[in-house]
Amino acid sequence: MTIPGDEMFSYSANRELESAAKVNALEALLIQKGVLSSSSVDKILDYFETRMGPFNGAKLVAKAWVDPEFKQLLIDDCNAACSQMDMPTGMSGAEGEIMRVAENTSTVHNLIICTLCSCYPWPTLGLPPYWFKDPTFRARAAREPRTVLQEFGLNLDDSTEIRVWDSSGQIRWWVLPERPAGTESMSEEELAKLITPEAMMGVAKVAK
Amino acid sequence: MKLQHTLGGLQGLGPVDFQKKVFVEAWETRIFGIHTAMMALSSHLDGSLPDYTMSDVPSTFKDIWTWADLRRGAEGISPFAYFQYRYYEKWLGGISGFFLEKGYITEDELTEFTEQYLKEGNMSTIPLPFKEEQGIDTQIIKYLEEGDSGRRTQQQPPMYQAGQKVKIADPDCNDHTRLPGYLRNKIGTIDLVYPDCYAYFPGPSDCLQTPQVSYSVKFEPKDIWGVEYSESGSTIYADLFECYIAGPA
Repeated sequence: MTIPGDEMFSYSANRELESAAKVNALEALLIQKGVLSSSSVDKILDYFETRMGPFNGAKLVAKAWVDPEFKQLLIDDCNAACSQMDMPTGMSGAEGEIMRVAENTSTVHNLIICTLCSCYPWPTLGLPPYWFKDPTFRARAAREPRTVLQEFGLNLDDSTEIRVWDSSGQIRWWVLPERPAGTESMSEEELAKLITPEAMMGVAKVAK
Repeated sequence: MKLQHTLGGLQGLGPVDFQKKVFVEAWETRIFGIHTAMMALSSHLDGSLPDYTMSDVPSTFKDIWTWADLRRGAEGISPFAYFQYRYYEKWLGGISGFFLEKGYITEDELTEFTEQYLKEGNMSTIPLPFKEEQGIDTQIIKYLEEGDSGRRTQQQPPMYQAGQKVKIADPDCNDHTRLPGYLRNKIGTIDLVYPDCYAYFPGPSDCLQTPQVSYSVKFEPKDIWGVEYSESGSTIYADLFECYIAGPA
């Protein structure tokens, strides 16, 4: 069955292939014309594999869990907290110049969204997953955060206040999730392994 | 009213896409890299806080390119196209269009090269050109490490105080905004006055041409969407430049 107006949303069967060829063509031309170096794109991608990624955020959260003073610093001045740790250079760099952390507690759950685009704290969390960039998520999480979280598999108590942070300005927000019960004997390294990007943006809790 | 500025609270949508990957197709990584490189090579960086000397960078890129330019492109297309094209498809369209418009590449070149890479329904194995330029990559890494903070130490007395009830502005709709549309004309409470002032990127963007005070403003969902069409037990916060606040409520 075709619905009138379907043509508007019909795609070429070779949609992905055409994009792949076009982006190759674009990159090739930009290299040829001296806009980019032939290794520019690869170096950037490597940077996000090794320097800026959720592994940084996980380290900060794990330390905050074991060190109450550090936790307070992370909440009061995230960039200062980053500079205190042995983290890669660039923790106050691109898309992390001004970061703020919202703390989850037993009564407050924080959720970060960007209804205007997909602002994300690169130094601590790396690049945003597709769900964060999804226009449906961006639209619905503003109005019905509790329902959207349920769809993510996170069922919060009715008594838990949800705070939604729309990153519409210069701040790059992320979440300090709660430490799960039963992890008292774990080292910071072991704790860091539990902490996901989803937990650090508020669509999940950290599971043991 | 522009859809792209007013996504928050849109109704009638289906389930969220739970995809955890950053990129779902390999080609998307390349347009991400190109955009990031362009931001790192942008001529406006000479005026940024870190010590960039763009005339020393051996790239032929001599234009301004920031997040604002990327978003202007996405915010400028038909709202139907905004939903039709996937995230990185919009980037590819906007960025290739930019290079064509500015004359770095021609339509013929782009078509010819695209056809070279697309042979009989398959990607050809022709490698990208080899042309190293260390100075370009040095600048790119420097930008990733040092960024481009909007914070400016000039002091302006904030017009509003923490705890104050304010009404959000309803400016004319234009190319680019940092005012989430669902907050226009709504009443909120100043939660935090951010220290110092904040500059935005160059180019046409509402009232954001000069550095200004910025606030975290708190809203009750019922004050935005009414009791019936909002959830209880939640609060929404938005970071707003001072010019987006119309006045005390």
